[in-house]
Amino acid sequence: MILLPEVISILILNSLFFIFATIAFFISIKIAIYWDFNKSTKEQYRLEKESFLVSTIIKYIFILKIPLFLFFIFTLDKISDLITGAMCASGVITATSYGVYLLTIKLLNIYIFGLWLSISYLDIRREDLPYTKIKFELFIVAYIFFIIELILMWLMFSSIDIDKIVSCCGTLFSSSSNSTIGDIIRIKQSTLLTIFYITSLLLFIFYRYRVKYLFAITNILFITISIISLISFFGTYIYELPTHHCPFCFLQKDYYYIGYLIYTLLFIGSFSGLNSGVMEALGEDASKSYRYSLIFNSLYIVLVTLYPTIYYIKNGVWL
Amino acid sequence: MKKSKINLYLLEFSINALLRAKAKNISILLIFTLLVALLSSIFFISNSIRYELNSVVDTLPEIIIQKVKGGREYDIEIDRVDDIIAINGVKSVIARVWGYYYFANAGVNFSIIGINQYEEQYKSSLERLTNRVDFDTLEANSSMLVGIGVRDIMKRNYYNRYFNFIKPNGKLKKMTIAGVFRDDILLESNDIILMSQRDAREILGISPSMATDIVVKVANPKEVSTIAEKIKFIYPDTRVVTKDDLKISYRNIFDYKSGLFLALFTISLFTFFMIVYDKSSGLNSQEKQEIGVLRAVGWSIDDILKEKFYEAFIISFISYLLGVILALFYVYILNAPLLRYIFEGYSKLKTPFELPFILDIETLAIIFFLSVPIYIGATIIPAWRASSLDVDEVIR
Repeated sequence: MILLPEVISILILNSLFFIFATIAFFISIKIAIYWDFNKSTKEQYRLEKESFLVSTIIKYIFILKIPLFLFFIFTLDKISDLITGAMCASGVITATSYGVYLLTIKLLNIYIFGLWLSISYLDIRREDLPYTKIKFELFIVAYIFFIIELILMWLMFSSIDIDKIVSCCGTLFSSSSNSTIGDIIRIKQSTLLTIFYITSLLLFIFYRYRVKYLFAITNILFITISIISLISFFGTYIYELPTHHCPFCFLQKDYYYIGYLIYTLLFIGSFSGLNSGVMEALGEDASKSYRYSLIFNSLYIVLVTLYPTIYYIKNGVWL
Repeated sequence: MKKSKINLYLLEFSINALLRAKAKNISILLIFTLLVALLSSIFFISNSIRYELNSVVDTLPEIIIQKVKGGREYDIEIDRVDDIIAINGVKSVIARVWGYYYFANAGVNFSIIGINQYEEQYKSSLERLTNRVDFDTLEANSSMLVGIGVRDIMKRNYYNRYFNFIKPNGKLKKMTIAGVFRDDILLESNDIILMSQRDAREILGISPSMATDIVVKVANPKEVSTIAEKIKFIYPDTRVVTKDDLKISYRNIFDYKSGLFLALFTISLFTFFMIVYDKSSGLNSQEKQEIGVLRAVGWSIDDILKEKFYEAFIISFISYLLGVILALFYVYILNAPLLRYIFEGYSKLKTPFELPFILDIETLAIIFFLSVPIYIGATIIPAWRASSLDVDEVIR
């Protein structure tokens, strides 16, 4: 267990979230069972009031979760100084067996909470509160994910051992490593790039023709292929080093914290993309989500394309 | 209905609402500001001292070798220097003679450092000093240079011009104070006494063939760990400490100290949470009526919650800013009286130094996360309770 001020702050805030989320969880169960908009009983009236409390709580948690997530990554970067062998957050994440799952579920939770809020936003703007039941059922699922996240986080922080030697990102993300990541890096770059740009093109086409659901599905594809190509190809141009494939090092100062921008663009783009699918499913106006998704995804594409281009212009060769 | 942007009218309304309940809000603001200031001060002090120590460590050689027998340190043989310098990549090897001298009258420890005039020094500040001061002449006059803190302690005990050291065999050695030695880094130079190596050996009881420890300079920082391993292999009875080891252990000590403080601080944070919760739950009849009127003119529960959120954010953010400013003033202008002793340890001689100004976003972020969200969190349920009061009941 590391008694680092950063870690303690994260734990304190998360215990606060836990208390609030648990309150929200019990109210959600009640609403999911008893909610009936057409009733005019006292019970229904109380549930309506309580639903406001739950949405406030979720809003509160979500708004803090995003900066706290960035802070979490930042903390991992800091812990990496203390652990022998680790040079960036990836070493810390793989230092325990929980790290990878924790990171995945943290990201997943941000998407879920975000989608919850966008449904809730639609809900309270309509007089008949059409989505209330759905959104509280969704929250019951989100709560379970959130609890898993908290447990994993606790396990991870308590099992990090400062004296244990861990792997640095140079070995984790190398083509000789015997893991999924190694396989990904061994994929031919030209194939990968073709897929990446075709997917981007698909995004534009589906945006233009507003094909129902396809835009959202392409977004899921896009974020997957973006991260893979970032590790395999674009990352190496950020580092200007053909062997360095780490997706965490560019979050550090040496690369002007560019990683935070990259991941933020990617997140907003893909989140809006997914949101467009949800909006379509609910039969609501999705044009805003379409637009945001396209804007931020294009910014991402431009940003990562700039790195190799500038490198080529400067040096006249590809890596 | 406006969209979910910042609503300036609502903001103005919140500010006015805060001003209407002045007495209540000012007391909360004050308590919260003090809490934030206390928290920030601890972080600022720990960061500054850590920075200071790190800059001390930076001036040190890359590797320090101590002889260890039965888990305790012993003097190390000087001739080991020849074996170590033969290792590839080693720039220079210096055997140091130094130690602590306990001055019982004042209850303090002096650090005595023996200097050989015609040897390379292990630190650039000492190198500069040997260029200015001739330690052979000092030896001939049996005199020494002292740090400012040492001089003051000696003066207080009426040793104005000389000092009598008690040697290990019980005899006295009289040393004249030749001058005061200053260094940029006060933290380390305050308790230091510099003298020729032969005098130092006599006072500390180190035989001529021995040294306190051996330090190794390495030109390429990437080779340090390999060289440290090789030394450990040649001399298994030694403890080989690298600069990075020192830095990490310093860092751990300070993170541990501020972490421990934070763990204790959680209690006051929790208490504060309860205070805010309690204060914002107790609505007086005027506030209740106000909410009733707002509901009656068409505000929804959500609007009132939003207004309450603005209120909480304004109060907590102002407290955050004031608290940080107060802490900056307390730590860097007043030099943090009282609180700095948590970090400094007990040696009386280590006290007077300025804390260097260090301010990073990371620390500000921690303080932010521990103040503003906690306050807003404490107001959520009371605000919701207030906003969902029955209109007819309240107005009546």
